[in-house]
Amino acid sequence: MASIREEKMTRGALLFAFNSPKYNYYEMAVSTAKRINHFLDLPVTIVTDSESLPVKQSYQFDNIVMAPADKNNFRDWGLWINKGRYRAYQFSPYDETILLDTDYMVNSDKLLTTFDLPTDFCCHDTTSFLMHPNAVQEMLSVYSFDTLWATVVTFKKTKRAEQIFNCLEMIQNNFNHYADIHGFISATFRNDYALTLATRIVNGHTTLVEDVIPWNLLHVGKNTSVYRNNDDEFNTEYTVMFDNWNRGKIRKEYITIKDMDFHVMNKENFMELISE
Amino acid sequence: MDTTTLISEAKARFNHNSAKAYLKDKYDSKFIVADQSGLWRANLETINFLNSSIEEWVIIIDTFDNPVRVNRINLLEKLNETYSKVMNAWHEEWLQLEKKR
Repeated sequence: MASIREEKMTRGALLFAFNSPKYNYYEMAVSTAKRINHFLDLPVTIVTDSESLPVKQSYQFDNIVMAPADKNNFRDWGLWINKGRYRAYQFSPYDETILLDTDYMVNSDKLLTTFDLPTDFCCHDTTSFLMHPNAVQEMLSVYSFDTLWATVVTFKKTKRAEQIFNCLEMIQNNFNHYADIHGFISATFRNDYALTLATRIVNGHTTLVEDVIPWNLLHVGKNTSVYRNNDDEFNTEYTVMFDNWNRGKIRKEYITIKDMDFHVMNKENFMELISE
Repeated sequence: MDTTTLISEAKARFNHNSAKAYLKDKYDSKFIVADQSGLWRANLETINFLNSSIEEWVIIIDTFDNPVRVNRINLLEKLNETYSKVMNAWHEEWLQLEKKR
Protein backbone atom coordinates (compact mmCIF):
# COMPACT_ATOMS: atom_id res chain seq x y z
CA MET A 1 0.00 0.00 0.00
CA ALA A 2 1.36 3.36 -0.93
CA SER A 3 2.13 5.55 2.02
CA ILE A 4 0.43 8.90 2.24
CA ARG A 5 2.83 11.66 3.17
CA GLU A 6 1.52 15.04 4.09
CA GLU A 7 3.89 17.59 2.64
CA LYS A 8 4.18 20.83 4.52
CA MET A 9 4.65 24.01 2.54
CA THR A 10 8.08 25.43 3.20
CA ARG A 11 8.42 29.08 4.10
CA GLY A 12 11.43 31.32 4.19
CA ALA A 13 12.91 34.70 3.43
CA LEU A 14 15.20 35.71 0.58
CA LEU A 15 17.71 38.56 0.64
CA PHE A 16 19.84 39.93 -2.20
CA ALA A 17 23.13 41.41 -0.99
CA PHE A 18 25.88 42.66 -3.28
CA ASN A 19 28.43 44.96 -1.71
CA SER A 20 29.14 48.25 -3.40
CA PRO A 21 32.29 50.32 -2.82
CA LYS A 22 30.29 52.44 -0.41
CA TYR A 23 28.03 50.03 1.45
CA ASN A 24 28.41 46.56 2.92
CA TYR A 25 25.14 44.95 1.95
CA TYR A 26 26.27 41.54 3.18
CA GLU A 27 26.62 42.91 6.69
CA MET A 28 23.18 44.48 6.43
CA ALA A 29 21.79 41.13 5.24
CA VAL A 30 23.29 39.29 8.23
CA SER A 31 21.65 41.68 10.65
CA THR A 32 18.31 41.50 8.84
CA ALA A 33 18.52 37.70 8.65
CA LYS A 34 19.05 37.44 12.41
CA ARG A 35 15.98 39.60 12.99
CA ILE A 36 13.96 37.50 10.52
CA ASN A 37 14.98 34.36 12.43
CA HIS A 38 14.10 35.98 15.73
CA PHE A 39 10.81 37.73 14.94
CA LEU A 40 9.42 35.63 12.08
CA ASP A 41 11.04 32.29 12.90
CA LEU A 42 11.88 31.79 9.21
CA PRO A 43 15.05 30.50 7.56
CA VAL A 44 16.88 32.94 5.31
CA THR A 45 18.54 32.38 1.95
CA ILE A 46 20.97 34.97 0.68
CA VAL A 47 21.84 35.72 -2.94
CA THR A 48 25.29 37.23 -3.15
CA ASP A 49 28.60 37.08 -5.01
CA SER A 50 32.12 36.00 -4.13
CA GLU A 51 33.27 39.61 -3.68
CA SER A 52 30.61 40.25 -1.04
CA LEU A 53 30.84 36.94 0.81
CA PRO A 54 33.42 37.20 3.60
CA VAL A 55 35.94 34.39 4.01
CA LYS A 56 35.00 33.96 7.65
CA GLN A 57 31.24 33.98 8.12
CA SER A 58 29.80 34.85 11.51
CA TYR A 59 26.27 33.83 10.58
CA GLN A 60 24.97 30.64 9.02
CA PHE A 61 22.40 31.32 6.31
CA ASP A 62 19.94 28.58 5.42
CA ASN A 63 21.31 28.70 1.86
CA ILE A 64 23.86 30.81 0.05
CA VAL A 65 23.17 31.29 -3.64
CA MET A 66 26.09 32.65 -5.62
CA ALA A 67 25.16 34.88 -8.55
CA PRO A 68 27.09 37.32 -10.68
CA ALA A 69 26.67 40.97 -9.69
CA ASP A 70 25.36 43.24 -12.43
CA LYS A 71 27.44 46.37 -11.98
CA ASN A 72 25.65 48.53 -14.53
CA ASN A 73 23.51 50.65 -12.31
CA PHE A 74 24.36 53.91 -10.57
CA ARG A 75 22.70 56.27 -8.14
CA ASP A 76 23.70 59.74 -7.00
CA TRP A 77 25.92 58.13 -4.34
CA GLY A 78 27.60 55.58 -6.65
CA LEU A 79 27.35 51.95 -7.78
CA TRP A 80 24.05 50.31 -6.85
CA ILE A 81 23.82 46.59 -7.56
CA ASN A 82 20.09 46.03 -7.52
CA LYS A 83 19.55 44.34 -10.87
CA GLY A 84 18.69 40.66 -11.15
CA ARG A 85 15.93 40.67 -8.55
CA TYR A 86 13.78 38.83 -11.11
CA ARG A 87 15.78 35.70 -10.27
CA ALA A 88 14.16 35.55 -6.85
CA TYR A 89 11.62 33.05 -8.14
CA GLN A 90 14.35 30.79 -9.48
CA PHE A 91 16.63 31.15 -6.43
CA SER A 92 14.09 30.75 -3.66
CA PRO A 93 14.14 27.20 -2.26
CA TYR A 94 10.83 27.80 -0.46
CA ASP A 95 7.22 27.25 -1.51
CA GLU A 96 6.33 30.58 0.07
CA THR A 97 8.88 33.35 0.18
CA ILE A 98 9.21 36.81 1.66
CA LEU A 99 11.65 38.75 -0.50
CA LEU A 100 13.03 41.67 1.48
CA ASP A 101 15.41 44.56 0.98
CA THR A 102 18.39 44.20 3.29
CA ASP A 103 17.72 47.62 4.83
CA TYR A 104 14.29 46.63 6.10
CA MET A 105 14.27 46.61 9.89
CA VAL A 106 12.13 43.73 11.15
CA ASN A 107 10.74 44.52 14.60
CA SER A 108 7.64 42.36 14.75
CA ASP A 109 5.98 39.26 13.32
CA LYS A 110 3.69 41.36 11.13
CA LEU A 111 5.11 40.11 7.84
CA LEU A 112 3.86 36.59 8.61
CA THR A 113 0.36 37.92 7.88
CA THR A 114 1.32 38.25 4.22
CA PHE A 115 1.37 34.45 3.98
CA ASP A 116 -2.30 34.41 4.97
CA LEU A 117 -3.40 36.82 2.25
CA PRO A 118 -5.50 35.09 -0.41
CA THR A 119 -3.00 35.69 -3.19
CA ASP A 120 0.18 34.17 -4.62
CA PHE A 121 1.99 37.50 -5.03
CA CYS A 122 1.77 40.70 -3.03
CA CYS A 123 3.69 43.88 -2.34
CA HIS A 124 3.06 47.35 -0.94
CA ASP A 125 1.31 50.02 -2.97
CA THR A 126 1.28 52.76 -0.35
CA THR A 127 3.91 54.20 1.93
CA SER A 128 4.04 56.45 4.92
CA PHE A 129 7.03 58.33 6.24
CA LEU A 130 7.87 58.59 9.91
CA MET A 131 7.49 62.28 10.93
CA HIS A 132 5.93 63.11 7.52
CA PRO A 133 2.29 62.13 8.03
CA ASN A 134 1.08 63.76 4.82
CA ALA A 135 3.81 62.79 2.35
CA VAL A 136 2.46 62.19 -1.16
CA GLN A 137 2.60 58.77 -2.79
CA GLU A 138 5.29 58.27 -5.41
CA MET A 139 4.32 57.81 -9.04
CA LEU A 140 6.33 56.51 -11.99
CA SER A 141 5.70 59.93 -13.52
CA VAL A 142 2.90 62.47 -13.49
CA TYR A 143 1.47 60.73 -16.56
CA SER A 144 1.76 57.24 -15.22
CA PHE A 145 0.85 54.92 -12.35
CA ASP A 146 1.34 54.97 -8.61
CA THR A 147 4.48 53.04 -7.72
CA LEU A 148 4.38 49.61 -6.20
CA TRP A 149 7.24 48.85 -3.83
CA ALA A 150 9.72 45.98 -4.21
CA THR A 151 10.95 46.40 -0.61
CA VAL A 152 8.69 43.59 0.61
CA VAL A 153 7.34 40.99 -1.81
CA THR A 154 5.65 37.79 -0.69
CA PHE A 155 5.16 35.14 -3.34
CA LYS A 156 4.25 31.51 -3.74
CA LYS A 157 5.66 29.16 -6.37
CA THR A 158 2.82 29.48 -8.88
CA LYS A 159 2.67 30.03 -12.62
CA ARG A 160 1.43 33.59 -12.20
CA ALA A 161 4.19 34.54 -9.76
CA GLU A 162 6.72 33.05 -12.17
CA GLN A 163 5.24 35.14 -14.98
CA ILE A 164 5.58 38.31 -12.92
CA PHE A 165 9.27 37.60 -12.29
CA ASN A 166 9.81 36.72 -15.97
CA CYS A 167 8.15 39.99 -16.89
CA LEU A 168 10.40 41.79 -14.41
CA GLU A 169 13.38 40.43 -16.33
CA MET A 170 11.93 41.61 -19.63
CA ILE A 171 11.39 45.10 -18.22
CA GLN A 172 14.88 45.23 -16.75
CA ASN A 173 16.29 44.34 -20.16
CA ASN A 174 14.17 47.02 -21.86
CA PHE A 175 14.10 49.62 -19.12
CA ASN A 176 14.78 52.55 -21.45
CA HIS A 177 11.83 51.60 -23.60
CA TYR A 178 9.45 51.51 -20.64
CA ALA A 179 10.91 54.75 -19.31
CA ASP A 180 10.07 56.40 -22.63
CA ILE A 181 6.53 55.09 -22.57
CA HIS A 182 5.84 56.03 -18.96
CA GLY A 183 7.88 59.20 -18.80
CA PHE A 184 10.32 58.40 -16.03
CA ILE A 185 14.09 58.77 -15.97
CA SER A 186 15.83 55.57 -17.02
CA ALA A 187 19.35 56.44 -15.88
CA THR A 188 18.92 54.45 -12.67
CA PHE A 189 17.16 51.10 -12.72
CA ARG A 190 14.49 50.87 -10.05
CA ASN A 191 13.01 47.52 -9.03
CA ASP A 192 9.97 49.40 -7.74
CA TYR A 193 9.20 50.75 -11.20
CA ALA A 194 9.90 47.45 -12.94
CA LEU A 195 7.67 45.63 -10.47
CA THR A 196 4.87 48.15 -10.96
CA LEU A 197 4.93 47.53 -14.70
CA ALA A 198 5.44 43.76 -14.47
CA THR A 199 2.45 43.15 -12.21
CA ARG A 200 0.25 45.35 -14.39
CA ILE A 201 1.26 43.53 -17.57
CA VAL A 202 0.71 40.07 -16.09
CA ASN A 203 -2.63 41.14 -14.60
CA GLY A 204 -3.96 42.37 -17.94
CA HIS A 205 -2.78 45.97 -17.59
CA THR A 206 -4.45 46.56 -14.30
CA THR A 207 -3.57 46.34 -10.62
CA LEU A 208 -5.34 43.65 -8.64
CA VAL A 209 -6.30 44.76 -5.14
CA GLU A 210 -5.52 41.22 -3.99
CA ASP A 211 -1.86 41.81 -4.88
CA VAL A 212 -1.50 44.63 -2.41
CA ILE A 213 -0.31 44.24 1.17
CA PRO A 214 -3.12 45.91 3.11
CA TRP A 215 -1.02 48.30 5.17
CA ASN A 216 1.51 51.02 4.47
CA LEU A 217 5.20 50.44 3.98
CA LEU A 218 6.84 52.63 6.60
CA HIS A 219 9.85 54.58 5.39
CA VAL A 220 12.44 56.54 7.28
CA GLY A 221 13.06 59.34 4.82
CA LYS A 222 15.11 62.49 4.38
CA ASN A 223 16.14 64.66 7.33
CA THR A 224 15.13 61.83 9.63
CA SER A 225 17.41 59.65 11.77
CA VAL A 226 16.61 56.65 13.88
CA TYR A 227 18.44 55.73 17.10
CA ARG A 228 18.19 52.57 19.14
CA ASN A 229 16.80 53.09 22.62
CA ASN A 230 18.96 50.29 23.99
CA ASP A 231 21.76 48.00 22.86
CA ASP A 232 19.87 44.70 22.94
CA GLU A 233 20.50 42.72 19.76
CA PHE A 234 16.77 42.47 19.13
CA ASN A 235 15.82 45.89 20.38
CA THR A 236 12.44 47.08 19.07
CA GLU A 237 12.34 50.56 20.59
CA TYR A 238 13.70 53.54 18.72
CA THR A 239 13.83 57.31 18.87
CA VAL A 240 13.12 58.99 15.57
CA MET A 241 14.65 62.45 15.21
CA PHE A 242 13.56 64.86 12.50
CA ASP A 243 15.10 68.15 11.36
CA ASN A 244 12.13 70.40 10.79
CA TRP A 245 13.26 73.33 8.64
CA ASN A 246 11.24 76.45 9.33
CA ARG A 247 12.17 79.97 8.15
CA GLY A 248 15.79 79.00 7.66
CA LYS A 249 16.12 77.41 11.10
CA ILE A 250 16.19 73.77 12.09
CA ARG A 251 13.93 72.68 14.89
CA LYS A 252 14.66 69.16 16.14
CA GLU A 253 11.58 67.05 16.74
CA TYR A 254 11.32 63.46 17.89
CA ILE A 255 8.98 60.59 18.54
CA THR A 256 9.57 57.15 20.00
CA ILE A 257 8.39 54.00 18.26
CA LYS A 258 8.31 50.33 19.20
CA ASP A 259 7.46 46.94 17.66
CA MET A 260 7.07 48.53 14.22
CA ASP A 261 8.87 47.40 11.06
CA PHE A 262 10.41 50.15 8.94
CA HIS A 263 12.51 50.64 5.84
CA VAL A 264 15.57 52.85 6.25
CA MET A 265 16.38 54.76 3.08
CA ASN A 266 19.52 56.28 4.54
CA LYS A 267 22.06 53.43 4.41
CA GLU A 268 24.50 55.16 6.80
CA ASN A 269 21.73 55.32 9.36
CA PHE A 270 20.92 51.64 8.85
CA MET A 271 24.59 50.72 9.34
CA GLU A 272 24.63 52.72 12.59
CA LEU A 273 21.54 50.90 13.79
CA ILE A 274 23.02 47.46 13.23
CA SER A 275 26.51 48.24 14.47
CA GLU A 276 27.39 46.63 17.79
CA MET B 1 25.23 58.45 23.60
CA ASP B 2 21.90 57.26 24.98
CA THR B 3 18.75 58.65 23.39
CA THR B 4 17.64 60.59 26.48
CA THR B 5 20.89 62.59 26.42
CA LEU B 6 20.63 62.95 22.67
CA ILE B 7 17.14 64.44 22.93
CA SER B 8 18.20 66.75 25.72
CA GLU B 9 21.37 67.97 23.99
CA ALA B 10 19.58 68.51 20.68
CA LYS B 11 16.80 70.34 22.56
CA ALA B 12 14.38 68.25 20.54
CA ARG B 13 10.66 68.63 21.02
CA PHE B 14 8.30 65.70 21.14
CA ASN B 15 6.05 65.86 18.07
CA HIS B 16 2.68 64.77 19.32
CA ASN B 17 0.95 64.78 15.94
CA SER B 18 3.60 62.61 14.29
CA ALA B 19 3.47 60.21 17.23
CA LYS B 20 -0.30 59.97 16.89
CA ALA B 21 0.00 59.34 13.15
CA TYR B 22 2.60 56.64 13.78
CA LEU B 23 0.32 54.93 16.28
CA LYS B 24 -2.58 55.00 13.84
CA ASP B 25 -0.37 53.55 11.10
CA LYS B 26 0.91 50.86 13.42
CA TYR B 27 -2.44 49.69 14.76
CA ASP B 28 -4.55 50.18 11.61
CA SER B 29 -2.72 47.31 9.96
CA LYS B 30 -3.34 44.98 12.88
CA PHE B 31 -7.11 44.99 12.32
CA ILE B 32 -6.66 42.90 9.16
CA VAL B 33 -7.92 39.34 9.48
CA ALA B 34 -7.80 36.63 6.81
CA ASP B 35 -10.60 34.15 7.40
CA GLN B 36 -12.99 31.92 5.43
CA SER B 37 -11.41 32.84 2.06
CA GLY B 38 -11.85 36.56 2.58
CA LEU B 39 -9.86 39.43 4.01
CA TRP B 40 -11.59 41.43 6.74
CA ARG B 41 -11.12 44.50 8.87
CA ALA B 42 -12.09 44.11 12.47
CA ASN B 43 -14.01 47.39 12.49
CA LEU B 44 -17.21 48.39 14.24
CA GLU B 45 -19.29 48.35 11.06
CA THR B 46 -18.53 44.70 10.28
CA ILE B 47 -18.74 43.59 13.89
CA ASN B 48 -22.08 45.34 14.38
CA PHE B 49 -23.51 43.83 11.22
CA LEU B 50 -22.43 40.33 12.24
CA ASN B 51 -23.81 40.92 15.72
CA SER B 52 -27.18 42.12 14.56
CA SER B 53 -27.75 39.38 12.00
CA ILE B 54 -29.51 36.18 13.07
CA GLU B 55 -28.55 33.92 10.14
CA GLU B 56 -25.93 31.21 10.59
CA TRP B 57 -24.41 31.98 7.18
CA VAL B 58 -24.24 35.48 5.72
CA ILE B 59 -22.73 36.93 2.57
CA ILE B 60 -20.69 40.07 3.09
CA ILE B 61 -18.24 42.13 1.06
CA ASP B 62 -14.62 41.72 2.13
CA THR B 63 -11.85 44.32 1.85
CA PHE B 64 -11.18 43.22 -1.73
CA ASP B 65 -14.82 43.98 -2.60
CA ASN B 66 -15.61 40.33 -3.11
CA PRO B 67 -18.86 38.87 -1.77
CA VAL B 68 -17.94 36.01 0.55
CA ARG B 69 -20.24 33.52 2.27
CA VAL B 70 -19.15 33.16 5.86
CA ASN B 71 -20.15 31.44 9.05
CA ARG B 72 -21.32 34.47 10.98
CA ILE B 73 -20.46 33.31 14.51
CA ASN B 74 -16.96 32.14 13.60
CA LEU B 75 -16.08 35.38 11.86
CA LEU B 76 -17.66 37.46 14.61
CA GLU B 77 -15.58 35.70 17.24
CA LYS B 78 -12.37 36.31 15.30
CA LEU B 79 -13.13 39.96 14.60
CA ASN B 80 -14.20 40.62 18.18
CA GLU B 81 -11.02 39.05 19.51
CA THR B 82 -8.83 41.02 17.10
CA TYR B 83 -10.68 44.27 17.75
CA SER B 84 -10.35 44.16 21.51
CA LYS B 85 -6.73 42.95 21.42
CA VAL B 86 -5.63 45.70 19.04
CA MET B 87 -7.67 48.47 20.67
CA ASN B 88 -6.34 47.59 24.11
CA ALA B 89 -2.75 47.73 22.88
CA TRP B 90 -3.39 50.99 20.99
CA HIS B 91 -5.06 52.56 24.02
CA GLU B 92 -2.20 51.53 26.30
CA GLU B 93 0.38 53.07 24.00
CA TRP B 94 -1.73 56.17 23.49
CA LEU B 95 -1.87 56.69 27.27
CA GLN B 96 1.92 56.59 27.36
CA LEU B 97 1.96 59.15 24.58
CA GLU B 98 -0.42 61.46 26.43
CA LYS B 99 1.97 61.55 29.38
CA LYS B 100 4.57 63.20 27.17
CA ARG B 101 2.31 66.17 26.47
